[in-house]
This record gives sequence, C-alpha cells and structure tokens, in this order.
Amino acid sequence: MRILLLFFLALTVLSCNHFEFSPNQSFDRISLKDVNVNNLRKLGNGIGDDTIKFVLTGDSQRSRDETVEFCKVVNAIPNIDFVILDGDISEFGVLKEMTWISRTLEDLRPPYVAVIGNHDETARGKEVFLNMFGALDYSFVYGGIKFICHDSNSREYNFDGQVPNIPWLKEELKPDANITGYVAVSHVPVNSEDFDSKLVKGYTEAFAQTPGFLASLNAHTHNYQLFYPDKSGIPYIITSAMGSSEFLVVQIVNNKLSFERVFF
Amino acid sequence: MYFFRFKLIFILLVAVNIRANAQSLKFLIPDGAVAQYAGSIGYFSAGVSYDLFPNKRGSLDAMYGFVPGNRGGVLHIAAAKFTYRPWSIGVKDWAKFYPLNPGAFISYTFHKDLSFKFPSGQYSHDYYYWSEAMRPHLSVSSEVEVNTDKFIRNTGIKAIGFYIEANTNDYYLINYLQNTSALKLNDIFLLGIGTRVKF
Repeated sequence: MRILLLFFLALTVLSCNHFEFSPNQSFDRISLKDVNVNNLRKLGNGIGDDTIKFVLTGDSQRSRDETVEFCKVVNAIPNIDFVILDGDISEFGVLKEMTWISRTLEDLRPPYVAVIGNHDETARGKEVFLNMFGALDYSFVYGGIKFICHDSNSREYNFDGQVPNIPWLKEELKPDANITGYVAVSHVPVNSEDFDSKLVKGYTEAFAQTPGFLASLNAHTHNYQLFYPDKSGIPYIITSAMGSSEFLVVQIVNNKLSFERVFF
Repeated sequence: MYFFRFKLIFILLVAVNIRANAQSLKFLIPDGAVAQYAGSIGYFSAGVSYDLFPNKRGSLDAMYGFVPGNRGGVLHIAAAKFTYRPWSIGVKDWAKFYPLNPGAFISYTFHKDLSFKFPSGQYSHDYYYWSEAMRPHLSVSSEVEVNTDKFIRNTGIKAIGFYIEANTNDYYLINYLQNTSALKLNDIFLLGIGTRVKF
C-alpha cells in the first residue's frame, strides 16, 4: 500500500506540467508570453541591412510534424532575417495547439512573428493569441521597410465592417522620413469569400495610394497564388500551407520585392 | 367552482404520485461524492457519483468545475463522466486497487465565446465542423479505494478512493493522429487527481 501511494505521489510530482484545467484555458504555467514583442526586440531595426530576406509561411494548424521540418529547412538557408507565420497557427483556437507550434518554432534561428488567422479566432483563441503573441494589429520597421500585420478575418466578426480596420491601416500607411517601403501582412486575402466584400475597395485603394507600397502577403487558401486585384500593379501574394510543405522566401533590395517558392 | 375542484383533484393526484414514486426514485440518491483537481474540467470540480452495473464496477459522475481568472481565464464547466474498473487487486481486506480504468466523458463549457454550434447565418454548414462548447473526452485512470468501515464506524462513509486520471479530447486526438512524430501520447493526455467518498 505504501508503495502504491509513493507511486501515485511520484507520478503526480513528475507530471506537474501535465495538469490541465480546461482545453479552453487561455494560458497556463508553461505557455509563452508576448512572443512577437520579444522576437522583434531580438530582430532589431535592421538599419544598414540592404538586403532584407524573410520567410512567409502560414496555416500551421494540425501540422506540427511539418513545422519541425520547416525549422530545419529555414535554419539551413543563409541570411534569413526573420520569419512570418501568417495565421491559422491552430485549428481549434486552443492553447495546447498554439503551445505545440510556438514551442517548435523556438528552434528557428531567425526570430519569428505571428499574425492571427480565422481558426485562431474560434473558441477562446483570440485570448490565447493576445496572451502568447500579442496584438492582433501591429507593425514593425526593419531595414526601412514597414511591415503592417493585421487581422483580416472578416467572417469571424460576421462582416461587421470593422475588420480589417481600414482607418488604422491608413494611419500606419502615412508617409514617414525613415520608411522607404510598405508591406501588408494578413491571413485572409482580399479575393477570398471570407474577406468583407464591403471593404475590398477601400482596402485595396489604401494600399494603391501609398507611395512605396510593395506587396500584400497572405495565407488562408493553402495554395500558392499571385494575383493583382486592381490596376495599381501591386502584387498580392499567397503562401501555401505549412502542411503542404511549402513556403516563400521574400527578398527586398533597393525597395524592389522578389520572392521564390521553397518546397521541403 | 368547477375549476377549483379540478385543481384540487390535480394536486391530490400529484401528491399520490410522489408517494408512489418515492420508492422508485431512490435510484436518484447518489452513491458517493467526488472532488477533483484539474483533469480538464476545471481548476477544481466537485459532484455526485452513481454506481453502475450489479458488480458496481462502473460509475457515472455528474460534475461542476470552475477555472478562476488567474488560472487560465474564468470558465464554468459541467461534465458527465463514465468510468469502468475491469481489474481489482485486493490489498488485505481494507483496500482495493483498480490499476487501469478506461472511461469517457462529455464536458460543456459555459462562456460567451464558446457556442454549442457555430451560427449558420455566419458560416456555411461545414465551415467549422466541431462544437466549441461541448467536448468529448477519453480517459484512463488508476484508483485506490480504502475501506473506511474498518477504521471509523458509524460515519455513513463506506470507502474513500483516490484516483489519478489522464484524458484527451477530439481536438488533441486529431492533432496527434496527423503528427505522430512531433506529438507524443503524453502531449495529448492531460492529468487530474481526485477523491471519491462512498456513502
């Protein structure tokens, strides 16, 4: 009997991090916090870096196996400045899924930032994202290029006309002496049924009217696509899903953007 | 007057019925009480327990659980848990050890962000295929049951059990089945401990 009790006690102590209060809890003792802010601090401002090279991936939901491979492949590519995970980190918007992916991405050599996807907004996912990664709309400047990461998951707000937040975007797109180019990053692309059709015009116009606007980067469809929704010549680029073992390497030199598809 | 008479008869009928059913309603009296820490149905949860089957190797627990704000956000959870104890090892005559008990339970989390079904006006019927509020779980537990009659008499408590339980749910199983090299079974099975007092 004493042995049994000791066995129970040992099992309990050994597995302290395995106690779960609910699949819907939005944080726990081991979940990461403020990943985006911390990683952007590591990244720095990139002043003097004349070749900006970063990875665009997304839709890592149900794909931890592929995420492990992804880290190895990205770490082997020279001179990657940072990685963007463009939404649908999770399938069900739960803490465990985001923990699994974020723990794996800790193995990346370059810092990464995450953008929210529609699946991440189901259940308590938005709370989990806010805790683990940070704001839903945020921007950072690297090497004179401003990356405007934002929530474009209109359907999750039942197309209330507030998402994407165009007034916020316009504020972010204002000219600045230290910024030569702009890149928008969001999960749902403008040509999707999940994007608020009432906002398409205002959204694309806001980008088209910004001098030095380079590209809109998206995910969501799980298929690579390059399209031009208007006559501005601005490319809208969709990356394939993590689960399809494909990502994009994007390079910006002299305010010119180019990219290549990488399969792994 | 007619109405009044009708009402009286009705009340009499109900009263007679309750009396007649008092015996048959006995099955509603629980056979035990349960209190649990963690186990995916609350930081702390408590409820009543019913023995099942003639050999009493099965149990059905009706639980209410709570997660406080500082432990992961405020959540209220109801759960119905079924456990079966196929093996029993006697420890002298004062305890029993049930080493491996399979089980299943359903949890329902009450929260404004969690719907039973995604609204059909907002999404086509197969857009999201699961329920946010209702979760099916699979569990396996170990339990030690001490026969308290032997030590303290006349308390009305027959036995006290202590258990440790590992459970997973549909979310985690789907993730696991598609990622069998990066996810291990101990990633998707989460723990809870509890005690069961038998009347």
